[in-house]
Amino acid sequence: MHYAFILLLFTFIEICISEEDVFTEELLIKPLNADNVYTHFHFTTKWNVPDSGFSSHSRIFPRILGEIIERYNVQELHIGLTNGLWRYEKWGYPVVSASPGGEIWTWFKPDTKDVDKNWKELTNSLSGLLCASFNFIDSTNTISPEFSFRPQGIIDNSEKVNSSYLKYSSLPREIVCTENLTPWKKLLPCNAKTGLGSLLNSGYIHNTRYHSLGLHLRRICTDKYCSHTGLELQQTISLVYDSKTLGTRNWSLIKFFGQGILNSCDLAESSTIYIDNKMNSSNPFRLTLKPDEVITSIRGGTVSEFAKYNVGKTIFSVGVDYLTQKEVTINQLPVLYAHQYLSGYGKENGGLVLKITNNHWSELDVVVLQNIPWYLQLYLHTLKITVGDKMLKPIKLKFKPGKLRTRYHHLEILLRIPAKSVATVSLNFDYTFLKWQEYPPDANHGFYIGSAIISCYLPLARDFVGLPQDGSMIRDSFNASRSGYLVQIRTETLIVTLPTPDFSMPYNVICLACTVVALAFGPLHNITTKRFILKVKDDRTLLDKIKAKLGINLKKKED
Amino acid sequence: MNSIFQIPSFIIIFIFSFIIISQCQIETDWAKKDHTNNWAVLVDTSRFWFNYRHIANVLSIYRSVKRLGIPDSQIILMIADDMPCNPRNPRPATVFNNANQHINVYGDDVEVDYRGYEVTVENFVRLLTGRLPPGTPRSKQLLTDEGSNILIYLTGHGGDGFLKFQDSEEIGSQEMADALEQMWQKQRYNEIFFMLDTCQAASMYERFYSPNILAVGSSLVGEDSLSHHVDPAIGVYIIDRYTYYALAFLESVDADSKRNMAEFLKVCPKRDCISTVGVRKDLFKRNPKDVPITDFFGSVRPVEVIEDVVIEPISFISKNISVEETPKIKKYRYVPPLVNFDQFIQ
Repeated sequence: MHYAFILLLFTFIEICISEEDVFTEELLIKPLNADNVYTHFHFTTKWNVPDSGFSSHSRIFPRILGEIIERYNVQELHIGLTNGLWRYEKWGYPVVSASPGGEIWTWFKPDTKDVDKNWKELTNSLSGLLCASFNFIDSTNTISPEFSFRPQGIIDNSEKVNSSYLKYSSLPREIVCTENLTPWKKLLPCNAKTGLGSLLNSGYIHNTRYHSLGLHLRRICTDKYCSHTGLELQQTISLVYDSKTLGTRNWSLIKFFGQGILNSCDLAESSTIYIDNKMNSSNPFRLTLKPDEVITSIRGGTVSEFAKYNVGKTIFSVGVDYLTQKEVTINQLPVLYAHQYLSGYGKENGGLVLKITNNHWSELDVVVLQNIPWYLQLYLHTLKITVGDKMLKPIKLKFKPGKLRTRYHHLEILLRIPAKSVATVSLNFDYTFLKWQEYPPDANHGFYIGSAIISCYLPLARDFVGLPQDGSMIRDSFNASRSGYLVQIRTETLIVTLPTPDFSMPYNVICLACTVVALAFGPLHNITTKRFILKVKDDRTLLDKIKAKLGINLKKKED
Repeated sequence: MNSIFQIPSFIIIFIFSFIIISQCQIETDWAKKDHTNNWAVLVDTSRFWFNYRHIANVLSIYRSVKRLGIPDSQIILMIADDMPCNPRNPRPATVFNNANQHINVYGDDVEVDYRGYEVTVENFVRLLTGRLPPGTPRSKQLLTDEGSNILIYLTGHGGDGFLKFQDSEEIGSQEMADALEQMWQKQRYNEIFFMLDTCQAASMYERFYSPNILAVGSSLVGEDSLSHHVDPAIGVYIIDRYTYYALAFLESVDADSKRNMAEFLKVCPKRDCISTVGVRKDLFKRNPKDVPITDFFGSVRPVEVIEDVVIEPISFISKNISVEETPKIKKYRYVPPLVNFDQFIQ
C-alpha cells in the first residue's frame, strides 16, 4: 500500500517536473577548407528553475554543477579546456572560441560578500570536478576585465554590470586529455553511452588538430517578458579533423569517431546533425545519406545551407564523398583576425607584439585584453599602437599594473581600427629573476603568457557560426540576423624563457666551496691561533738525556 | 570394562569440544575481517617523456584496482606529467605497458586527481595525513577512517633513503615513516599495503614504525630496479620489471579470487626482476597467507540492512507547494554583448 503510494507520488513528481528541464543534442559538421573538417557538439540543458531554488529536484541538469553554483553564488560560469590553436585566418570563426590551455571566467551574483574567497573555492571545486589544474588559480593570476566581457545571460533589471564580480583566469600550460573528457562526459544525462555523446571516444578526439571542451552556464529568460528565468548549460566539444591524419578526404562519422551512432539518447528532446553545405561549391561532394531536411539560413547577409538529419533509434552514420580531385581554393579571409608574437632580445629585454587585421570595408571597434604574468615587468610608456606609420590613439586604455608575486598585469585597450588595415600593438618588458623555489620542475621549458582576447561586435556574419545571445542551440542560429555578431578572438599563447639557473650549479658550487674552505681552514686556523715560540736547540742524544735525568736522580738520591 | 568405555567417551567429548572450538574459530575469522572500505593512493613521481614507464607503471596498478572494484572516488591518482596526450606520443590518449599494445592502461575512463605540478612532496604528505587546505575537493582527499585498508603505490626514481619527486625535490624515508605514523595516530587506516617500484626501494620502508603495514619494494638497498622492455614505436622503455610481473599476476586475479598476499609477495623472483624484491612483514599482524589479495586490491562494499524506516512524503509536497505559491516578480534583461564605444568618445 505504502509502496504503491510512493510510486504514484514519484510518477506525479516526474510528470510535474518533466517539462522543467529539457535536453537537446546537436552536432554541426562544417568542412572548413579542402583539408579540415570542423565538428562541433552542442549539448544544451535548460532548466526552469527560479533564481533562488537549486534545492529542488532536477531530472536532467547535473546536480553536482547545481550544487557548486549555488554554494559559491555563481551567476554565470564559462570554462574552456583546449588543445591546439584555432586558425581564424584559415578556418573562420568557431561556434565557441577558446584559448589554448585552460580558461575560466565567472560572474558572481551581486550579493556575494567575498568574491575572492568564493572564486578560490570555486576553482578548487572545479579542479576536482573536471580533473584540471584550476586549483592553481587564485588572486595572483586572476583579473577582472572591465570591457571585454559582459554577462551573456540575463541580469536583474535593476542592476548595472559591475566587473568587480567578474573573475577571469587562464592556464595556458594546461594539458587536455581523457581525464578531462571523462568527468565532462559524466555531466551528460546519457553519460556518453547513447546518442551523440557515444561518438566521443577519447582516442579519436585527441587525434585531431584542435580540440576544445567547453562548459557554459548562464541564466536565461524562459518566457517572452523575461519575468521567469531558468538555467542553461551548454556543453560543447569542438574538433578539427585533418584529412592528412585521417588518410582520406572522404569522411564519415565512422571515420571520425570510430563508430556510428548506435542508439539515441532517450532523455534528449531532439538529436540532430547539421552538415554545412558551403564547401560544396568549391569542392563538390555528395552526402552518403539523403538529409531529412535542407535548411537555408540567411543571416547578416550571408546565405548558408545545412543538411539536417534527425538521429533516431536506428544505427546511424553519415558522410561525404568528394566528387572531384582536390581543388585548392583561395581562402577568403575573415573580417577580423589577430596574431601575437614575442620580440626583444637577450635574457633581459623582451617585447610583445599584437597584430590585429581588419579586413572590413569600414572601421571596426575592438577591445583588446592582455593578461600578462607578474614575472614580466611591463613598461607602459613603451606601449605603441600603430596603423602603418601612423600612431593610433586608443579610445580608452585601462592598465592595472601587476605586482611581483601578487597580481597579474591587466591591460585593456579600446581601439577603432580603420578599414582594411593592420593595427600593431607593441609593448616592452623586462624579465625578472624568480626565487629559486618558484621555478617549476621543468623550468627550462619556459613560462607561458596567456593569449590576448580581441572582442568585436561584427556588423556582418560572414564565417560566423556562433549562437545569438538569446539562443541556446545551433538551430537558434539559423536565420538569426541581429544588429551585430560578437566574436572573441584568442591569439597564440607565448613561451618566454626567464633567466633560469642551472640547478646543479649551486650543488657544484657548494661542493667546491666546502672543499676549498676545508682545505684552507686548517692551515689558516693554525696560523692565526697558534703562537710561534723559540726553542733552544738540544743536540744531546737520547741516551745522554736519559743519563742526565738519571744522573740528576742519582745525585738527588746520593744527597 | 567400565574403564574401557570411559576412554572413548572422553575422546568423543574431546573431539566434540575441538569441533566446537574450531567452529568458533571460523566464526571469529569472519568477524575479524575488520576493514570496512578500501582506498588506493597511486603515485607517479617522475616527470619527462623518458620516464614514460613510471606512468605506465602507475596506470597499470590503477587499472587493476579499478577492475577489482575500488571506485574512482576512492582512488587517488597522482601523475606528475602528461604522457597520453604528450606531443611525442604516436598514439594520443593511450599509454601501453606492453610492446604488443594489448592493454591501453590509460583507458577511456580515467580520473587523475593530482597532475603535473600538483604532484609534490607537500601535497603527498598532506593527502596522507589529511591536513589539506580548506576548499579542497573531495576527489583530492583521502577520506579514510579506522576501517580503511589502503594500498599505497609509489613509483619513480629513488635512492638510499629517499624518493625523488619531479626531479626537483625528494621525500626521505623518515618523513614517509612519520607521515604513516601520523595517519595511524589519527586513526586513518586499518592496514596499509605499501608498494614501491624504485631503485633501492627497501630503504624507503626501513624506517617505518607504525603497526599494520605490509611493505614490499622492488629492490633492496644497493640495488637498482630495472625496466622491462622498449617499445620501438614509442621509443622509450615502457614498463618496469617489478610492476610488469605484478600486473601479470593481478591480471589473473578477479574480484572473487582466493589468491593471497603471500603469493603476491613472491611475484617477480630474482631471475625475472634482476633486483631482489624486498618484503617487510614485522609490522603486519596477520600472516600474508591468510590475507586475500582483494583485501588491498579489491573493494569491500558493506551493505547494511535497515529496517523500520518510516517515509513521510506528505511534508515534502506541502513544502514544494508553499515555495511555488510565492513567486517574486522580478524583471530581467540581457546586456549588450560588448561595451558601447560611443560613451567614451567626446
